[in-house]
Amino acid sequence: MEEQAAQLTQTIDSILAGAGSLLPELLLALFFLLLVTLDLFKSKTVKRLLPWVALTGLFSVLVLLVLDRHLAEVQFLNLLRSDGIARYAGILFSLTGIFTILLSLQNPKIEKRKQGEGRGEYYALILMLVLGLNLMAKSVNLLMVFLAIEIVSIASYILTLTLKEEKRAVEAGLKYVLYGTLSAGVMLYGMSFFYGLTGSLDYTLVSFWRSLLDASPLMVTVAAILVFAGFLFKISAAPFHFWTPDVYQGAPMPIVALFSTGPKMAGIIVIMRFVAAFADPTIASAFSDVQLFLGIAALATLAVGNFTALWQRTPRRLMAFSSVSHAGFLLMALLAFGSDYTVSVLFYMTVLLFMNFGMFLFLQMAEENWQVRTLEDFQGMGPRIPFAGVMALLFLLSLTGLPPLAGFIGKLLVFSNVWEAYTATGQPMLLALLVVGILLTGAALFYYIKIPYYLFLKRNQTAENLVISLSNKLLLVFFALPLLVFFFKPDLLLHWIEKLLA
Amino acid sequence: MNYTLSSLIFLPLLAALAVLLLPARLERGIKAVTLGGTLLQLVVAVWLYLGFDGAAVANGQTGYQFVEKVDWIGFSLGSLGRFQIEYFVGVDGVSIGMVLLTGIVGVIGVISSWTITKNVKGYFSLYLLLMTSVMGCFLALDFFLFYLFFEFMLLPMYFLIGMWGGPKREYAALKFFIYTLIGSLFILIVMIGLYTSVIDPEATAQQMGLIGHNVPASVDMVRQIQQMLQQGAFSEADLVRTFSIPAMMEPANFIPGSLLHVFSGVSLFDLPIRFVAFLLVLAGFLIKVPSVPVHTWLPDAHVEAPTPISVLLAAILLKVGGYGLIRIVYPVFPDAGAYFSTFVGGLGVLSIIYGALCALAMNDLKKLIAYSSVSHMGFVLLGLASLTNEGVNGAIYMMFSHGLISAMLFLVVGVIYDRAHDRMILNFRGLAKRMPAYTAFVVVAFFASLGLPGFSGFIAELLVLLGSFSAPEATGMLPRWMAIVAVIGLLLSAAYYLWALQRMFFGKYWIFPELRGKAQLTDLTKREYLMLLPLAVLAFVFGIFPHLLLDKTGMTVTGFTELVLRNGQEQLNILQAILHR
Repeated sequence: MEEQAAQLTQTIDSILAGAGSLLPELLLALFFLLLVTLDLFKSKTVKRLLPWVALTGLFSVLVLLVLDRHLAEVQFLNLLRSDGIARYAGILFSLTGIFTILLSLQNPKIEKRKQGEGRGEYYALILMLVLGLNLMAKSVNLLMVFLAIEIVSIASYILTLTLKEEKRAVEAGLKYVLYGTLSAGVMLYGMSFFYGLTGSLDYTLVSFWRSLLDASPLMVTVAAILVFAGFLFKISAAPFHFWTPDVYQGAPMPIVALFSTGPKMAGIIVIMRFVAAFADPTIASAFSDVQLFLGIAALATLAVGNFTALWQRTPRRLMAFSSVSHAGFLLMALLAFGSDYTVSVLFYMTVLLFMNFGMFLFLQMAEENWQVRTLEDFQGMGPRIPFAGVMALLFLLSLTGLPPLAGFIGKLLVFSNVWEAYTATGQPMLLALLVVGILLTGAALFYYIKIPYYLFLKRNQTAENLVISLSNKLLLVFFALPLLVFFFKPDLLLHWIEKLLA
Repeated sequence: MNYTLSSLIFLPLLAALAVLLLPARLERGIKAVTLGGTLLQLVVAVWLYLGFDGAAVANGQTGYQFVEKVDWIGFSLGSLGRFQIEYFVGVDGVSIGMVLLTGIVGVIGVISSWTITKNVKGYFSLYLLLMTSVMGCFLALDFFLFYLFFEFMLLPMYFLIGMWGGPKREYAALKFFIYTLIGSLFILIVMIGLYTSVIDPEATAQQMGLIGHNVPASVDMVRQIQQMLQQGAFSEADLVRTFSIPAMMEPANFIPGSLLHVFSGVSLFDLPIRFVAFLLVLAGFLIKVPSVPVHTWLPDAHVEAPTPISVLLAAILLKVGGYGLIRIVYPVFPDAGAYFSTFVGGLGVLSIIYGALCALAMNDLKKLIAYSSVSHMGFVLLGLASLTNEGVNGAIYMMFSHGLISAMLFLVVGVIYDRAHDRMILNFRGLAKRMPAYTAFVVVAFFASLGLPGFSGFIAELLVLLGSFSAPEATGMLPRWMAIVAVIGLLLSAAYYLWALQRMFFGKYWIFPELRGKAQLTDLTKREYLMLLPLAVLAFVFGIFPHLLLDKTGMTVTGFTELVLRNGQEQLNILQAILHR
């Protein structure tokens, strides 16, 4: 009895000691509850304020994360680790949330529909999703990983269905739920294998990996494949990417932009933490198997993403496969084991955030204001929207990875890491990844250039200029500017990331 | 520091900004600003040419003049030490001619663009962007900076062909873009490999505190650092990796254990990995040159592009390929350059003959000239592969001379196309009767291009042939038959030019009946004189006084061939172990 009491106080003590590190998450939860409560009021003024309340919440979390240095290096009950990676990821997630809300405010469909019912729930769920993302980035325990992923997933399912009167939204939502729950189940099953084999869920422990090495290789392989299936699903990597185009087709544009960045970044960080465990010399020899497995996944993802994108006829599906291919690049970066790839990965994700949101903003404008549904609908529109057209060109070139845009630096850093790792280890898999990754950029240009191709090269009879609202223009510039700045001075961001990680 | 080179690069960019700020309806203003910008660029280029001292020492970093070197991007990646990207520009004998050429053709191109009516603002801002990136490409001495300009060239070109081009412009623009992008991706792979392998000894000394910050390292200090590096005395974290091309040219700057180090012993497909890297960059630049068999984008791009853009494409953009070979490929991989010289020379000869045969078969005058470009660029490859002073000087001279002459050729085609909206050779006969002045310029351009003595093309071809003929004794490169076969190319070029001349311009005046209503075959206008006359005069002047350019290139080329032959032989001996395994 006394023993238990002592243990209890100890637990409470460690909860209290670690609780400070959860301040951002607590803040998000608080604002989530606030939004849900405010949503109960019928007053129109309150309804109008809801997105701004959500923005305030996200912004305060952002400020907290940027300014507060005490958040670093605290562990909460062996479940959540608040380190530099988590902190920077938290900043990215807050930005993701903020951008999503900014895009939603520009979306007439969401704004009109939400006058009245469901408005609070939409913004509250965005907060919940960001909360889940933060937890994903902090988790160092398999069960916690699962819970965090589920928070994100459940919020995602509902957000996909925001425009439930549209048929394609319902189809997308249903497919997403089915795939999602299946992959969650599979992942949980794999984790239970791990638990059975090791007696622990804390995968940062060396003992966890040692007992895995002692166990039957077949069992471990099966379990690892099951667990990774869940991770790969979340980052939309092949062969678990099938939900991506449908969901991108059905969800409202701001939510698509959110899916293409937030959960992908969080998933990559989960895998990164998983892989980082191999830094321990006693288990490092086992890494080559993981490398082979993830390498095949990365190669498949790159190939599927880039080649399938070539055949797409709608901008949404094109961006879906583009997002698959970027998952491939990020996965590839994680395999450059031995080189210092964390900074590169975080840099790549930051750039991805800006270029994806910029592009989706452009597509939202095209879809809502100019009724563009397919790539052909862009025909001859360039001269009518010169400003937005040039901005779209910037985003697409950055997505391709051409200078002078930050996407190029992102890819350059990743490729350099892979080359370094190849120099150090001589793994043929790395060389294959490097060559395939670089050459597929050529294929990527082929599909990304389709939009500017229709915009500028194809001619159309009508010539009157289309009006773009000032807020949209400003937002486009806001997303494009970092892409130029981070090309010409990437060291600004790299130094900062480094400082956070140190 | 002297800002001449920066002003050369960024003047057009400033003009482009000015164009963007002008309202779109002020078309004359936009054209005037563009002309002003390019004229200023030409003035600076001429001033640079006059100020360039061709007799200065050429080997190593000291050979570059008007150097500007500023830290641009620097970051440390933990265990990998520091990475350093510099804004590093300079001019030497290889680039001085290209800079002058870019200045001249830039102005001619604007005059030729005067007739553009559609979306004038977009056209001229893209034109100026293109001028900035081409100039930057020729002046950059940092690989990253070079690559930036090299890639950025594609974009304005894509839109210039795709938006202002002919009927199949979309196809041609895309083909151009994809081909050259694939080429530059090959270059990117090697660039990554190189900068992870090469250190900057000066910056490393500064990093380690051996000398103060911003203090230049003495020659002894550099030697010492290089020796320590080769002995493995540094930890990874102390090294400052660099994109600097001069640093990459010195084998002593390669980090032991890195893949591209001569001693790495790594092989891929039974070739030393350095050779594989050489083949990749070679392929990247050969696409740009273009050499057979990767030339197929060129005829399409030329035929569809509007006249001024064809001029720029042939006169300057193609030169970037040859320039890249001389600036980067051979000095950085001299071993592979020596080993594969027969291969490269063979591609050159193949381009000469195949391009000429294709030109012979063309009915479209513009396509004929496009293929003649392929043929002439083959001489650049052949001269370079000989690795003799004459050959390399000839290659550079060929690039310069072809720049002037091909500009003239495409302008000449533009003249007939403007009037008749057709340029099929068989649709015209006896044009000399109607357009005597025009015919005179066509004759000058054709004869200059086929290498008539007195024009710059003759000097270039003579030097290349001398170089490649003497190569077996002088440098041990190239079999003798290559020079002999190349001479057949000269014969063929005389054939296709003279045949075209005879069919189109001589004989009784006749044009295809369907064209009769539309075509207004008036003689040259003042604007056309303004474009053609300076080019003809320059082609003549550089044909009579070759020392105008050779004096500037000579020392640099001597340094180049010495470096490539010496390092190439040393490193080949080391790599023999892998080759004979």
